[in-house]
Amino acid sequence: MNAYFMVIAVLLPMLGGVLIPLLPFRKRNTMLVYIEFLVLVTSLLVFGLILNRPEEAFVLFRFTGQLSISFKLDSVGSVFATIVAFLWPFATLYSFEYMKHEGHEKTFFMFYILTYGVTLGIAMAEDLVTLYFFYEMLTMVTLPLILHTLTREAVLASRTYMYYSLGGAAFAFIGLIFILTYGTTPDFTPGGVIDMAKLGGRMNLLLCIYVLCFCGFSVKAAMCPFSAWLPKAGVAPTPVTALLHAVAVVKAGAFATLRVTYFSFGTELLRGTWAQHLLMILIIFTIVFGCSRALKETHLKRRLAWSTVSNLSYILFGVILMTPLGLYGALSHMVCHALMKICSFFCAGAIIYKSGRTYIHQLNGFGRKMPKVCSIFAISGMALMGVPGLCGFVSKWNLAKGAVESGNPLAYAGLAAILISALLTAIYMMSIVVRAFFPGKDFDYSTIGDVEDPNWMMLLPLTVFVILMFAIGLHPQFLTDALTNVVAAVF
Amino acid sequence: MEFVQNFPFMSIILSLFAGPVSTVLNGKWAKRLNLFVITAVGCMSAAVLAFELRTKQEYVYMMGHFPAPWGNEIRVGILEAAMALFFCIIMLLCVISGVLEREREIEEGKQNLYYVMVNLLLCSLLALIYTNDLFTAYVFVEINTISACGLIMIRQTGRTIEAATRYMIMSLLGSGLLLLGICFLYGLTGHLLMSNIKEQVAVLQASGEYHIPLLVAICLMSVGIAIKSALYPFHTWLPDAYGYSTLSSAAILSSLVSKGYIFLLIKIFYRVIGFDIIRDSKVINVLFVFGIAGMIMGSLSAIKENDIRRMIAYSSVAQIGYIYMGFGLGTTFGIIASIYHIVSHAATKSLLFVAASGLTDASGKNKLFAELTGSGYRNKLAGVAFTVGSLSMVGFPMFSGFISKLLFAQAAMENQHKMLITLIALAISTILNAVYFMKTVIRIYTPEKREVIQEKGFDDIAFWEQPVKSAALVCFIVLNVFLGLSSEPVIHLIQIGLSMFA
Amino acid sequence: MEKHIVNYWILLPILLSGMTGIGLLLSSLRGHIRNKEENVAEKSMADKSLFRLHLLVGIVLVISVVLALLAAWSGERSLTLFYLMDEIPVYFHVDAVGRLFLTITSIVWVTVAFYAFVYMKHEGDEKRFFGFFLLLYSVLVSLDFAGNLITFYFFYELMTLTSMPLVLHSGTKEAIMAALKYLFYSMLGAYCALFGIYFLYQNCDSLTFTAGGTLNAGLTASNSGILLLAVFVMLIGFGAKAGMFPLHAWLSTAHPVAPAPASAALSSIIVKSGVLALIRSVFYIVGPEFIRGTWVQNVWIFLALLTVFMGSMLAYREKVFKKRLAYSTVSQVSYILFGLSLLEPTAMAGSLLHVVFHALIKCSLFMTAGIFIFRTGKTRVDAYDGIGRQMPVTLWCYTFASLALIGIPPTSGFVSKWYLAQGALQSDTGVFRILGPVVLLVSALLTAGYLLPITIKGFLPGKECRVETQKETMDKMVISLLVLAVLAVLLGVLPNPLIQYVGEIAESVM
Repeated sequence: MNAYFMVIAVLLPMLGGVLIPLLPFRKRNTMLVYIEFLVLVTSLLVFGLILNRPEEAFVLFRFTGQLSISFKLDSVGSVFATIVAFLWPFATLYSFEYMKHEGHEKTFFMFYILTYGVTLGIAMAEDLVTLYFFYEMLTMVTLPLILHTLTREAVLASRTYMYYSLGGAAFAFIGLIFILTYGTTPDFTPGGVIDMAKLGGRMNLLLCIYVLCFCGFSVKAAMCPFSAWLPKAGVAPTPVTALLHAVAVVKAGAFATLRVTYFSFGTELLRGTWAQHLLMILIIFTIVFGCSRALKETHLKRRLAWSTVSNLSYILFGVILMTPLGLYGALSHMVCHALMKICSFFCAGAIIYKSGRTYIHQLNGFGRKMPKVCSIFAISGMALMGVPGLCGFVSKWNLAKGAVESGNPLAYAGLAAILISALLTAIYMMSIVVRAFFPGKDFDYSTIGDVEDPNWMMLLPLTVFVILMFAIGLHPQFLTDALTNVVAAVF
Repeated sequence: MEFVQNFPFMSIILSLFAGPVSTVLNGKWAKRLNLFVITAVGCMSAAVLAFELRTKQEYVYMMGHFPAPWGNEIRVGILEAAMALFFCIIMLLCVISGVLEREREIEEGKQNLYYVMVNLLLCSLLALIYTNDLFTAYVFVEINTISACGLIMIRQTGRTIEAATRYMIMSLLGSGLLLLGICFLYGLTGHLLMSNIKEQVAVLQASGEYHIPLLVAICLMSVGIAIKSALYPFHTWLPDAYGYSTLSSAAILSSLVSKGYIFLLIKIFYRVIGFDIIRDSKVINVLFVFGIAGMIMGSLSAIKENDIRRMIAYSSVAQIGYIYMGFGLGTTFGIIASIYHIVSHAATKSLLFVAASGLTDASGKNKLFAELTGSGYRNKLAGVAFTVGSLSMVGFPMFSGFISKLLFAQAAMENQHKMLITLIALAISTILNAVYFMKTVIRIYTPEKREVIQEKGFDDIAFWEQPVKSAALVCFIVLNVFLGLSSEPVIHLIQIGLSMFA
Repeated sequence: MEKHIVNYWILLPILLSGMTGIGLLLSSLRGHIRNKEENVAEKSMADKSLFRLHLLVGIVLVISVVLALLAAWSGERSLTLFYLMDEIPVYFHVDAVGRLFLTITSIVWVTVAFYAFVYMKHEGDEKRFFGFFLLLYSVLVSLDFAGNLITFYFFYELMTLTSMPLVLHSGTKEAIMAALKYLFYSMLGAYCALFGIYFLYQNCDSLTFTAGGTLNAGLTASNSGILLLAVFVMLIGFGAKAGMFPLHAWLSTAHPVAPAPASAALSSIIVKSGVLALIRSVFYIVGPEFIRGTWVQNVWIFLALLTVFMGSMLAYREKVFKKRLAYSTVSQVSYILFGLSLLEPTAMAGSLLHVVFHALIKCSLFMTAGIFIFRTGKTRVDAYDGIGRQMPVTLWCYTFASLALIGIPPTSGFVSKWYLAQGALQSDTGVFRILGPVVLLVSALLTAGYLLPITIKGFLPGKECRVETQKETMDKMVISLLVLAVLAVLLGVLPNPLIQYVGEIAESVM
């Protein structure tokens, strides 16, 4: 397909989103149809682009000589684009129902759709400058979504989010400058672009900058000690927490770290250095830390958010292994975690929407009142635990393969951390499931008498996700083959 | 000699005489005259710039055709013309956007005095930009100080008088040091014209004589100007002066006055001493350290601030820190970044002041944060403008602040020793900026309860209610986005201008 | 092509019982939802529908068992279903070990189901119980037939998840906590095992079970240190299910709160799948040669012996009957683990024998406990004085089973312990050669000490204890108990075919 289509895919949702509050919709339904149509068209366009990748890059705009906004869809980018383009229509459908009780729909959908465009921009960024640009944009367009309820809590959460994100970007910026100065080109090139002659052997400087840059981008991926914003951001409406804080925004952070590691700095230079070890230690710590916090948390959405913290670091762990198999593991966890976590968040959202209950101890006996939602939640929980037959096992397996093959003692420790975290996941997910299905012998069901399963708009996305989780878990070939090709293109 | 070459001199004289003339006019006519003068000077500067761009040749304009060392000279290059033009634009926007506040806050009989001060200020700024004579520079520094004091004091509340007094004391200290430095140089070289001093300094440097006195002179001049331009830790006068004076004064002071001094310092570096000598002396390291300290401490103070005007004022301390840090890098690229930051900061800071006043107007003239809640909805344009300004300050791509941050960082990459510390300081300062600016942005977009609004009697301000201010705000926004999106020509201009300088 | 279709027979019992189980569960859930107006969690079922349920479960189970046994005993077969991982299929393979475990599982399952028809009346919610019960059978069959480590792990996890609801069946707070503890320990074990599996995947030629192991010598030479560690972690992990120290604590919590049929099944079969896991991973993947003489083997032996002794001591001190039996399981299963850890054919034969015997014996012991509770409602051992007068048949069965567990000739336990001790003496494991048999003896004494007093007090309560004698009802519970107890004793009298069978297995893997 023509390279122009990439720009259209990015700009269409952005322009269409801005139009939402301006267009005079008579009825709510008309607006919903317009939004879903917009999202679907964009997604189809993206799928078309992925299946039929344009070879050449497209320069949209030039700041200065070196700095330009340009798009190119490469193999790694298309993995991220696929995730996003696949999930967005479903999440939009889900939010049609959910947002009924939140209000301010026009503003919400405007920014929701805007975010779609910006996320696609990140996926299709050709160079670090573009990536940085959209990365900053992402912070801005998602801020109103966290602020949506406008409660005091939301204001505090959005402030925290803002500080962390902009702070992260400030450090990522250092990396950008470094690449602009010491790289042969700012474009993403497999294997890195560092010009060693120019750098003149100052390896430690390079490593310092790499660590700063990685940490900066990993703020969005909620790596410890930069993870505090994510659970707080759970005050946003559930479609936001589910899609953005489990998939789009946080994965954008992970994706950015992947880009700088494999495409800008280059793994050859970094492998086996203290920088790799330092970051790996941080990541390993996060894997365990996130889960332990999840265990302690009694608020349903915050628990899931902490779980996301831990799971994102799985992806970062794959990234930091700096081997083909590591990249492979990172990408597969990116795909699988997206499915699992959006699914469990949507279940949590359905529970909140139908009953207004947000704390775990209030969920006794929901298994009988919302059997479909709770069963799906149980399945997503098992997937997160890594029960074989579901997609979580596949991605853990791939990560483990990378870790063992790397022969790095720290990677072994990381593997152990992943398993410990899986164990903790088992506890914090299964305790909810057990509570919902087995509330105790003399539980009075009349206290939750009016709770019931939600309508098709919420159930359809959930069903699709469950089917996919099983499909990937039982027959991962289609995923692994695709990812193998992706990785082969990088190394 | 072409006619256009007279323009610099004419613009200085025009604004100089407009001052006394204003004393006999009433407020309304003084304003008209002032606006005319600024516009005329702006047009003339544009013509000079066009001429310079065509000839690519700087020229010396001798006053009264007396040759040096007796005569007084004006020296015009691309950079000078560009700065003059830019200063005029900013000043025009600042003056027109503050009309309402001025009429409200200044006594009826003193309206015309304000324009006297503005005219004199413009005159002194132009002189600082164009002059080729150190002593003339000193004279106009003093004029600048006095008129700036007048701008602060004109509001005549207890706060402003105290602020003006402080400003006066600190500024005079600064100019005293500057004067001492100039005396030293005169003693060493026997000249006051910049080009002559430079030749002599080069001779001295080559012979190795008078090394210490030369160093002392450099130090005295740098520190003097640093005090005047509110480099940390000499910034204590600044928050009060900017925070309590009338709107256009604050905007002009923050975006232009301190920048004029800084431009003079650049001239001293390049035209008087020679940049290589400056680099070899360790003075710039001191500037570097204080610049970075200013970046951090200014922002920290701003975070603690509860009053939006004072917060923006403290932010200026941080931004001036950026500029000195750029000097401290000791590379031409660092200077380019600093000059770009002078431009971008002037554009952004005045935007912020004006937008903040729009927000406070919608909140019962109250500058405290708590009252600003939801003001972004009550005054939509000001809300947007403030957001743009904040994003620019934070270094968000698309706005001017991003480019200057980028330039600073790129400049830092050239200096191996200072690279990492500069980069990290930039990052930390960005975070701190984000803390206080974005906090404000979130607050102005958090809606206030309807009852509270009614109780306090806040009213909405529509776009057409204050057309001049709105227009100025739109211009500022456009300027900011222009600087952010197509910075290439501006940087190019600065580059060739600076190469003419040396 | 012909052979291909025959191979799919393996799936029949799995699918039949699995699908029926799921069907029952769904219908149970629907029943609950439909009854929400009445707000009764457990509605006792009408007798007629209950009978229909029992008939259905019985028929399905018997057919599945017959099919499974047919599939198992009609020669070697294997079946590749689909590819779960890159090169790893879901692969079923019937071999000697699987056959043995499948047979014992089937026997226990049929008798326990038969027993549960009566017992579950007082627990309620039978549809759910039998649903999970059938589902668990299908998982266990798959587990026994699993032909590679990944397939095995897959069903191992499923087993944990499907057996957990059996533990929390009663729905009391205690039961729920116990179930979560069970889940926690099982998952911890499973993940430890997974850690090992990850390393084995890198260092083995394939993960298909092959007698003698598949470790790639070229790869292991360079990193044997980390690999040994991984194997050790895996041993600990799989040991969790088998109740090996340090991950043994779940047993004594989970077994007592489960309904008696569930604890019988758990104690006799689920725990054994931990043993199966160890056999599969050590003898069929890693290979005994790799760990023989290393620290891993020594620590393993030590842990097994420690657990043997500790379990007996704890059981001896415990007063709650089912808890005592649970601790006894801890101790007895570690006999098996001890036999395995010696890496010696005779000892391994003893272990496999003990797998069979202990399954039968422990199942009957738990059934006894269930009958006691069912009839008297008392759970502590000191409440059972004089119970032999009320239920002589039950107590006699209990006594014979106890004797078998202690290892008094000619009962079955003697045979297995004999082989274990002999194997220990033949092995070259240093101090453990002697220490092992000594610990086994001491533990056997303790076993006698904690099992036999119930018999003694039950038949001879003393003069001051008055018990109203009543006629014992010979219902399905007692019959199933009787069958198992007789089997336990009989196998001790006629052990030869079995000994020969397990001997071949042991020879093949060493």
